[in-house]
Amino acid sequence: MRKLLSLIMMVCLFAVANRVVAQDSLSPQRKQAIDSLALEKVRDLSKYISIIGDKTTPWSDAQRVIERAAELFMENSEIGVSSLGKQDVNYYKVREYFDRLMQLNYDKVTIDWYKIQYVSDLVRQPDGTYVGIITIYQRFQAFDKEKGLVYEDTTKKDITVYVKRKETQIGGRLINFWDVMLGDIRVKETSK
Amino acid sequence: MRIFTWVVLFLLPVIGFAQGSIGSLTGDETVFYAQTKQMNQFFLRFNGEEDVKGKRYYSGDPGYRDVKVRKKFLNILFDNSSPNVNSDSKFVFIDEALNKRNPSFLDFYSKGWFAEVTTSFMYKKEKVNLILYLKIEKQLNGYKWVISNVYFDRFESWFTHLNDTANLKYFIHPMSHELDFMNLHKVFKEPETLDYYFEKEYQPDMTALFVMEIKNGNLSFVSVNNVKFHVFQVQNWYFEISYFNRNDVNSGWLISNLLRLNDKDKKDLMRHYTHLN
Repeated sequence: MRKLLSLIMMVCLFAVANRVVAQDSLSPQRKQAIDSLALEKVRDLSKYISIIGDKTTPWSDAQRVIERAAELFMENSEIGVSSLGKQDVNYYKVREYFDRLMQLNYDKVTIDWYKIQYVSDLVRQPDGTYVGIITIYQRFQAFDKEKGLVYEDTTKKDITVYVKRKETQIGGRLINFWDVMLGDIRVKETSK
Repeated sequence: MRIFTWVVLFLLPVIGFAQGSIGSLTGDETVFYAQTKQMNQFFLRFNGEEDVKGKRYYSGDPGYRDVKVRKKFLNILFDNSSPNVNSDSKFVFIDEALNKRNPSFLDFYSKGWFAEVTTSFMYKKEKVNLILYLKIEKQLNGYKWVISNVYFDRFESWFTHLNDTANLKYFIHPMSHELDFMNLHKVFKEPETLDYYFEKEYQPDMTALFVMEIKNGNLSFVSVNNVKFHVFQVQNWYFEISYFNRNDVNSGWLISNLLRLNDKDKKDLMRHYTHLN
């Protein structure tokens, strides 16, 4: 169902944006349509992260969600994590990051997302793919059965978004559409 | 304080009207809204190409590069705690950037700005800091960041005797050619004095040394530690942009150093920052 919705969105995006003729520049209207699609993916990711981190999610369900979440990303995407007072950034493969999130040793974890989001311009790379960054903010709280709240942080997540022009055939017609994939994520702890 | 009031008043209505957002957490987000979250946003705020909600203005839109909005944005793009930002200079800078006849705008794709990235590497089993300089370069119809220079104090320490005019001991005497340079072996006996023997115009290529050490397996990347940007795009001015991670409306990517400079001083400063002699 989700895939069907995505396909419909992509085709709609194409319809809104332009028809058939290949054109490389992004008009403001097209950019807006692509932003919506990218935000949809980021929204999916945020939902998946909340489910993976939730201690009440059964292991097998969490594994399925990790699969789904990983499908949102380009191959070899990484997550770079830093915390306050620590200079180095730790780099994790996407799947490794989700596995670590699932295995966190707390009795209860809550992951909430602030309403704010910021979407950058899209800049064209030499290979023709466009790249942009979406910034969102997450609040993480970890609880212990006896001690209650034992850890809390707010992180800024800068998420890479790749936008690529692709072609598909629908009903014998060649349709161009813009495909959106997520890339590297920089996770920075914000000051308390 | 006036700026703070402006920011809060300017941004408060946004909180109530956030649309199509990612989450549902209803905490105080004033800081996040005010924060200059990306360098992209720094450019757009500087140019007056987005509204207070972060909605992009394009050429032809009402409000696009509006002087009043730009003035407000420019005021919040400075780190208020920096000793390197003088309030008089800031006032003049904003005034000149908004000059009606010749306003200044920043361009992501143009020359006149570069990144200074402090990194840590393992160098022969020791953790060291190394600075990479990167700039935007066009390729085909796209753009990419490229490494334009490297600074590593160990490399510098190999060349401390270059152009040392006081040296009267380490040189190859002027009739050595008659001996088929048989005395050349003495030059290489003491590696620490090797750099006395180079021509005075010689400039070591730190980037080449960097590549060599990586390819020989002596240097391996660990992490990026800090990023800042040097901007020379505004006529008669130089400024530095750093990231301020604090729970304050005056946070994110902000101007941390501001200097009034002529073109010659700008060139000298660029060379100084990139450690070019």
